[in-house]
Amino acid sequence: MAKKVLVAGGGPAGLGAARVLGRLGVPTLLVEKEDKLGGRPVLEGYHTLIPRKLKPSQVLGPYIKEVEDNPNVEVKLKTELEACEGEPGNFKVKLSNGETHEVAAVVVATGFQHFDARRKGELGYGLYPDVITNLELEQMFSREGKLYRPSNGQLPKRVAFVFCVGSRDRQLGVTNVHCCRYGCALSGLQGSEIREHYPDVDVFCYYMDVRTYGTWEYPFYWAPQEKYGVRYVRGRIAEITYSPADGRLRVKHEDTIVQRPAEVPMDLVVLVLGMEPSEGTKKVAKILGLAQDPDSQFLIPSEESGSNIISNRPGVFIAGACKGPIDIESSLSEGEAAAAEAASFIGAKVSV
Amino acid sequence: MAIHERSLVEPERILRKERLVVEGIDVSGDWNLIILPRVINDYDLDFAKEIINSPDGKTINQCYQCSYCTASCPVHNYWDERYNPRHFIYLARLGMIDELQKRADVMWRCVSCHKCTHRCPKGVLVEEVLKVILRTMAKKGLIEEYPSKKFDKFFTEQVLEYGRIEDGELLFGWIEKQGYKVVKDPILKKPIPFIGETPEWLKELTMKPIKSMNIGFLMLNAKHMLFHPRTKNWNRFKQVLRKVMEEEGALAH
Repeated sequence: MAKKVLVAGGGPAGLGAARVLGRLGVPTLLVEKEDKLGGRPVLEGYHTLIPRKLKPSQVLGPYIKEVEDNPNVEVKLKTELEACEGEPGNFKVKLSNGETHEVAAVVVATGFQHFDARRKGELGYGLYPDVITNLELEQMFSREGKLYRPSNGQLPKRVAFVFCVGSRDRQLGVTNVHCCRYGCALSGLQGSEIREHYPDVDVFCYYMDVRTYGTWEYPFYWAPQEKYGVRYVRGRIAEITYSPADGRLRVKHEDTIVQRPAEVPMDLVVLVLGMEPSEGTKKVAKILGLAQDPDSQFLIPSEESGSNIISNRPGVFIAGACKGPIDIESSLSEGEAAAAEAASFIGAKVSV
Repeated sequence: MAIHERSLVEPERILRKERLVVEGIDVSGDWNLIILPRVINDYDLDFAKEIINSPDGKTINQCYQCSYCTASCPVHNYWDERYNPRHFIYLARLGMIDELQKRADVMWRCVSCHKCTHRCPKGVLVEEVLKVILRTMAKKGLIEEYPSKKFDKFFTEQVLEYGRIEDGELLFGWIEKQGYKVVKDPILKKPIPFIGETPEWLKELTMKPIKSMNIGFLMLNAKHMLFHPRTKNWNRFKQVLRKVMEEEGALAH
């Protein structure tokens, strides 16, 4: 009987893993909770992906097609992992559709979920229609193709990005003290897109630090400022209020460079959401007995291994945003690396 | 109502009225004193855009507030901490005019050493940008012109008129502009030196070189004072120059 590999999750990391396993000729079972493949970028309708500024269909489309077409990969949608028994190399997994499978290795790619901005009540999300999340802004671009204020449908004169909503915040408990890694860069990109298409709209980014690390520095921090004139204001937004007199929002903060409090009028406020482990990630961690970060609940790699896709349990490999915030291209490559590790673990014969 | 910690509140933020009527109700007495909040209510983006859109000010957008410029600035290091190029850039870019005006007395003090520009890791032409900020503020009447600028203007006018300056006329014309009474001869309307309200320090300053001049040079100077020397063919050139300068807005500042 052929040794099979289970890939849990059909997002970028899961697709990366399933594509490589399929190419290597390893029988693969891809299990996805939702009714289509692609993960958050496809399900939630992202517009442009950092760092290469491509559409989700451009990046993930070829992966989805190949995974669906490859006879080695069996895709099970609307299905979750329910239980797992047995030893490494010989797991018996039970799925939510009642099936049981024998698999030799598991690639966990169960991903993240967006922070629920309603938990930061002082920012008025859910209360004022013009306070939106950066996810909703992506959807505004991808689904409606235009920028507008949800309250009246008109073009805003000023847009504010509020960094670190649900990130680096001990007030939410120990679960949200990490940095979301993508927020600064995505805001730079979204701000540039707004300025490019609507040059009369002024864009402000309210930051504490700008963490566009590595090669992201120029395209997502310098270019927005130098090329598109996005303004960066240092100070964390403490409160968002609404003024009925002019129908505009006020962002309350201290400008920490000028060292003065400020309440500046804005037409549209975009909250830059943090990342949390998805429900699936937390569930899978329990089922497979994977080590989790005690604070954030993200999965953590094995302490003995220098690689961050080797889990604490032999035969189980972890890839993508289930281990913490990560960008999509890294997610794909982690999935691909995990597939290679899984294939070598089960001793698959690869014909060259 | 008394303010117990008056030192904590800048005087310009305290409003006190002898009689105060709010919505028809006389609140004079205890409630006639208002402390204005420190809150920034808005950005003046038109001001900021004027700077960003000017050819010599557009590098302002490249600044990421590392303060390399200020750390290198001799004016900041040796004279007054309120002279802070990095901070001026931040304030100008957001159009925080009241904050800039608070520093109006130190803002002209750039010594043009260009250390800021040479060292800036982002390629901001700091010295140029600061000049644009000052120019824009002066144009909008937000800052008083620096005294030396007034002299520059007077000097430029004379050069434009004759193609060169004449020391006596420049000096006494300037003295007259400063409000001193200068006596002029009735025919040519030229100032007569040292008669009238010439300040003592100026008398001393000018007498020293005059004493050591030979008589021929002195006579030449006296002739020039009466008949202002002119550059050859200046009248034709002057018109062109004036026109170009007006077009470029160079005369206004």
